[in-house]
Amino acid sequence: MIRSGITSLFTTADKILFIFSFVAIISSYSYFWQSTPANYAIVKSSQQDPLLINLDEAKVHQIKGSLGISTLEVKDGKIRFTTSPCRNKICIQSGWHNHGGDVTACLPNLISVQLSSKQSKANYDAIIF
Amino acid sequence: MGYNDKLIAGFAALAITIHLLESALPSPIPGIKPGLANLVTLYVLIRHGWSLAANVTLIRVIAASLLLGSFLSPTFAMSLAGAIASLTVLGIAWHCPGKPFGPVGLSILAAMAHISAQVVTAYLLFIPHTSLFTLLPILLTAALISGTLGGILVSKILERVNSPINT
Repeated sequence: MIRSGITSLFTTADKILFIFSFVAIISSYSYFWQSTPANYAIVKSSQQDPLLINLDEAKVHQIKGSLGISTLEVKDGKIRFTTSPCRNKICIQSGWHNHGGDVTACLPNLISVQLSSKQSKANYDAIIF
Repeated sequence: MGYNDKLIAGFAALAITIHLLESALPSPIPGIKPGLANLVTLYVLIRHGWSLAANVTLIRVIAASLLLGSFLSPTFAMSLAGAIASLTVLGIAWHCPGKPFGPVGLSILAAMAHISAQVVTAYLLFIPHTSLFTLLPILLTAALISGTLGGILVSKILERVNSPINT
């Protein structure tokens, strides 16, 4: 009785709308949750100017950090740390990165690498107050 | 003061109260709220038409933000964007020939328009990062659930109000 009571509150258009929205939302998960490959990496270091790296160009970059030189290797649209003068080598073990929005870093050497799927036009990350 | 003005004042007062009470509720995930104040909008729309509903909603958004101290802050911008979007969608759906949508359908449309406009506003003004849209499916799911429940609630309220016992 309760069940039939609730469905009677839906008009035909309501039912069609509900089912359509349900299907659209389910498909929006697969649309919005796929990661897009990155095109650029922004490398920031305490010891040098920020560097914009094109991931389509296979190259080895030497980045000066606070402990010494870290090496970043770019190949096939991916980027990784290959050497770093830090103790735990977490940056090297984190391996290849190629998803837009990914961030990797060598914290002891004060170097961060942020991957972006397109060049960001924004002047800020977020505004909160 | 005309009859409509009194209705607007009364319903706006009710909506502001609900809005304030709801802002005190803890939210499980940022951005997810039951949107109880929007039930007042929906009720006024169905009983008294779109223009009264728009008045009540805009007064509610502005007055509640003044009381909460968020006037002209990002919270206010998001709230206003959501209100304008849902009022626009409600206006279109309400004036569809043959009025095909009931309270539940109207409520779902309003909830989805509300949250979509808020995410777009947040992206354009405050968090210009495409990762923000990762949240959209979750927020839309919440909007579908809260919109459906809200619509059912308004239907029940309308049944009570329209039943002869209360007249």
